[in-house]
Amino acid sequence: MRMAIQGIGISGGFGQGVSALQDALQQGAVTPQAVTVERSSGVDNFPAYRSDIEGLYEFFPKRALRRIDHFSKMTLHSACLALQDAGLLESDRSRTGVVIASGYGAMKTTFDFLDSYLDFGYSCSSPTHFSNSVHNAAAAHVSMQLKATAPSLTVTQFEMSVPSALLTAQLWLAEGRVDQVLFGAVDEYCEVLRYCRKQFFGAGEAGPVAPLDFDRQSAVVGEGAAFFVLSRATEQAAAYACIESVTLGNHAAWPLTLPEDDRLIIGADGHKTCADWYRQTLSGRRVAAYAPLYGSFPAAAGFDLAVAALSLRDGNFYQEALLGTEAPKTTTATPLASGEQLSCLKFGPGGDYGLIRLAR
Amino acid sequence: MSRGVAVTGLGCLSGAGMNLAECLDSMFRNQRYPHPPVRFSTDHPVSYPVLELRDEFQLPLDDQETIYTRTSQLALVAALEALADAGWDAESLRGKRVGVCIGTTVGCALNCDDFYRTYKSGANPKLQVIERFLRSNPAAVIARQLQLNGPTQVVVNACSSGTDAIGIGASWLRAGACDIVIAGGADELSRVTYAGFSSLMITATEPCKPFDVNRKGLNLGEGAGLVILENEASVAGKALRGRVIGYGSACDAHHLTAPHPDGLGLKRALAEALTMAEVTPEQIAFVNAHGTGTPDNDRIESRVLHEVLPGVPFISTKGYTGHTLGAAGGIEAVFTLACMARGEIPANIGFADPDPALPSTPVTVNTSLKADYALSESLAFGGNNAVLIFEKGDH
Repeated sequence: MRMAIQGIGISGGFGQGVSALQDALQQGAVTPQAVTVERSSGVDNFPAYRSDIEGLYEFFPKRALRRIDHFSKMTLHSACLALQDAGLLESDRSRTGVVIASGYGAMKTTFDFLDSYLDFGYSCSSPTHFSNSVHNAAAAHVSMQLKATAPSLTVTQFEMSVPSALLTAQLWLAEGRVDQVLFGAVDEYCEVLRYCRKQFFGAGEAGPVAPLDFDRQSAVVGEGAAFFVLSRATEQAAAYACIESVTLGNHAAWPLTLPEDDRLIIGADGHKTCADWYRQTLSGRRVAAYAPLYGSFPAAAGFDLAVAALSLRDGNFYQEALLGTEAPKTTTATPLASGEQLSCLKFGPGGDYGLIRLAR
Repeated sequence: MSRGVAVTGLGCLSGAGMNLAECLDSMFRNQRYPHPPVRFSTDHPVSYPVLELRDEFQLPLDDQETIYTRTSQLALVAALEALADAGWDAESLRGKRVGVCIGTTVGCALNCDDFYRTYKSGANPKLQVIERFLRSNPAAVIARQLQLNGPTQVVVNACSSGTDAIGIGASWLRAGACDIVIAGGADELSRVTYAGFSSLMITATEPCKPFDVNRKGLNLGEGAGLVILENEASVAGKALRGRVIGYGSACDAHHLTAPHPDGLGLKRALAEALTMAEVTPEQIAFVNAHGTGTPDNDRIESRVLHEVLPGVPFISTKGYTGHTLGAAGGIEAVFTLACMARGEIPANIGFADPDPALPSTPVTVNTSLKADYALSESLAFGGNNAVLIFEKGDH
């Protein structure tokens, strides 16, 4: 069943909202923030794409959010932006499902909870941090604050989180369990994650992101939330685009067949561990990768989906490159022909893939 | 709804037993084995009993101890038991679209407190525990070990995760997204959740007493419960464990950790599942309730069951397994199907004295079943409620 994208809410290192994403697309790159972490073992300076949540307080008073962590605030903010974009901020949400995809969940809150008992003993464990660290806490905050009483789902599947969760959102709509789905992709930065990435990748985490240079580790950590208001395409024309299909599989077990004529947005984000899968499957194809706008994190597949939807709405494909034996050569924006389709492809390190096809 | 989702295999391990047969044996003997945690320690002044696995298990892995988290190992053990029960092996699954949908909580949380303690000290901890975590998404582990091709999904809906995973897996089959789905839940006991639940003051210092007037809270447990789902059309002639005929879920949108006082989300989930299953409350043989033994959960659940399914016998099996969090829905679904096959349910262990505030009480002795449908329900953090309805199978 085709899903219509009626609204998008997004926040990341490029700013907040669809217009900020559009600006970033036109500029072609976003400069990450300079972050400093001081530990007793030394000072660590590095780039990161961080997301600001100040805009959330336009929707809710600060007091109502005082026990909600950063992860859930990012989630709630983008959910509100998506509803606002769809003109549905004041609508009844008793038949609106909530589906959230996250690669890692509320990591910082998990470590905040560990802090509470490592610093003060187990009898001083923080119930607030614990309950917010549970993976579905963000979905719960969205449901509570937005009075969404239909089914709620949180999925975590590392790089495959977005296509996997989207598959279930699609079936909820197809089965008539809900009339709309508020679908979100969220991941957050935390210092421990930075430590791990530095240990794994060393200087490769210093950027700048070169997603199509498959031989080089160039990822820069990012965070953010991308939300979509999805409905059945049979009932309502799409404000942005339609999601035609969602396919998941493993290229090693059963080779992926790519749609021949689709323009491709790929989830390559500067991680060498996944690069070989793209190299194997995309030689000779024209592709685009947008990690230089928002950084590297599993839920960035949702950001790719937002770019695809925006591209189809605007009839404009922002910069692409031809992959082959030579270094990819990037070209600037090109118009999309009428009826032309886009596919978003994301690989995990083991050959797992998610393919999301979209059309106007 | 089409009744086209067949259950062809069951696999389970928990504090009640190392496989489904052992679990059923201890439950129908009304035996349980709570004790202070053995696999980890804390400086907490109070010791809360838990239900850990009573034996070690062995997987066909050279590096079982280090390659995957315990949660993923539990999931794999249950998956292998369920596949064998369904008559499948890894080789015979080649070329089929096999989906894996697993519910968990601990299995996707970076609960690495030893690693983090070292990090906090300013030292640079080694990354083995992180590498293991990154290898151990439970659905991906099953797919990888069995070399499957199909959708994978880990549902992290807290304590309803396992129930939701089976409902979603059935949906994948009905939509034609897969030929076979391995679905259920898995979770290990963890010092982090042990500390977390004690901070919420909902763990009991004694064996739990679901629905009893003197209930003081839950006991944590660990384990996995998985089912093999297949399209009815493709299993002609195969003896079925049962059918998934209804699934419903809804969110209270009320409180992060407490159920809605009127059980609104649970009622909606029950209504959705009953409508999908096209069965009436009178046709339900029994309910495998969430029944954690916490004051709030059991009060709300008893009231809702009394209102929506009056007179239908119900039990909580958490007295035997403890609350296995993301695994609970999977384990309880397996028990529900297995009990229907036996034609009886075990006594709700821990229940002795009725609570006057609860309008309905669970069965107190092993009880024969008189109908061919049964229901398993889960209530969760975040206000999630999920309900599955099963039809009795052939064995």
